[in-house]
Amino acid sequence: MRKEKFMKKYKNIIKLSNLLLDAISELESQRLRQIQAKFEDFGRQCSEAIKDSHLFYAAVERRWFESAEKIRTKVSRNINDFSYYLQRFKEFINTDEPKLPKLSDIFAELSQIDHDLGEYQFDLNEKTISVITEPITLDDISFGPFEIKLDINRISRLYTETPYRVIALEPNPAGADDSVTHPHVSSEKLCEGDGYISIRRALEQGRFCDFFTIIVSILQTYNPDSPYISLDDWEGISCYDCGYTVAGDESYYCEFCDREYCSNCSTYCQICDTTTCLGCAYECPSCNEPVCQSCTAKCKECEDVFCKHCLTEEGLCNNCEEQRKETENEEQENKSKKPETAAAVQSDSMGKTVVHA
Amino acid sequence: MRILFINNWGGGFADYISIEEGTSIEKLFKQKMSSENAENYLIRVNRQPVPKDYILQENDRVTVTPTKVEGALPVMV
Repeated sequence: MRKEKFMKKYKNIIKLSNLLLDAISELESQRLRQIQAKFEDFGRQCSEAIKDSHLFYAAVERRWFESAEKIRTKVSRNINDFSYYLQRFKEFINTDEPKLPKLSDIFAELSQIDHDLGEYQFDLNEKTISVITEPITLDDISFGPFEIKLDINRISRLYTETPYRVIALEPNPAGADDSVTHPHVSSEKLCEGDGYISIRRALEQGRFCDFFTIIVSILQTYNPDSPYISLDDWEGISCYDCGYTVAGDESYYCEFCDREYCSNCSTYCQICDTTTCLGCAYECPSCNEPVCQSCTAKCKECEDVFCKHCLTEEGLCNNCEEQRKETENEEQENKSKKPETAAAVQSDSMGKTVVHA
Repeated sequence: MRILFINNWGGGFADYISIEEGTSIEKLFKQKMSSENAENYLIRVNRQPVPKDYILQENDRVTVTPTKVEGALPVMV
């Protein structure tokens, strides 16, 4: 039974080694295709130069000096492009050819991972291989262990995307951004910095133990010059408005938009004292004081919004209240003038006479 | 004498190099990485840790991997 279990594990490791070997082989194919593309670019530039050379020769032979001068100007202009393509081609062609590993090398790499970094995990269905780090602590801030998960199918896309994720298993994210789980990890993506080239070389050459070791080294090192969020600001909260990081107990929560702000981007309601951000606060057009949304109401007459202090008991703003008073006064005046006007009004029968037929 | 030297620092150099017979791993490290401190590196010969006076043999595989690598935000060009 024990032997069967061992054999099954052994077979799976062979399968995994084969998968990794195929992925490296595909990556090599991609690398050579890139060289081919640069080769073609360079070849096109050479063809252009040969064509120009023939034209130039013909122009000189026929004493078409003006045309020859035009061709010379064109070549002079194009020479910068040519040297750019030559330089790019040189960079690609001069890179050391990675030695493609053998199956036994991959197998040895896996054993070394086991020995140096602890037991790795692999999923033959998902085609992933993972290493779990020791808990990481930087400057007394604990980030917990991380899982470095390499997607074997994506190794071949190494030149265009990152084929692995760095997953926080006991996350202690930055206060300002939940997706930042380590000063150099955001959304499970590692900022490789100085490790960028060596990570790629290790994958190209099938040195998987080196690949995982370099990533662990990056996770165990803090570069204060270029973190996503610095350790000094780790516990702080980022103001939603201006992005400034403030300590947790110095931030202001706006209950209307459910976000945290710094003191410069928040205020409080002059009526109920509720904290609110500048975006959710409303400046009353009458008293110009900031108030929260709960302490505002519409004027029943003009329907403009005012703070509750600037509305009368009847729900009118100062202007509408004044207008109402003016109207009432006018009506009052009109009423007081009514008797004279009434005297002037004649009755229905007045001024009429009976005319007999 | 030829050995495979893999340096995981910087450019990730990996190639066969020639060394003198009787070269110790400590001497090789000093030759190749004169400005670096060996304490900041994992040094393996044939995938195993070795004492600093280990004398390198033909076709040995030497790997040097830094224990401190600074991550950094990608530079947008």
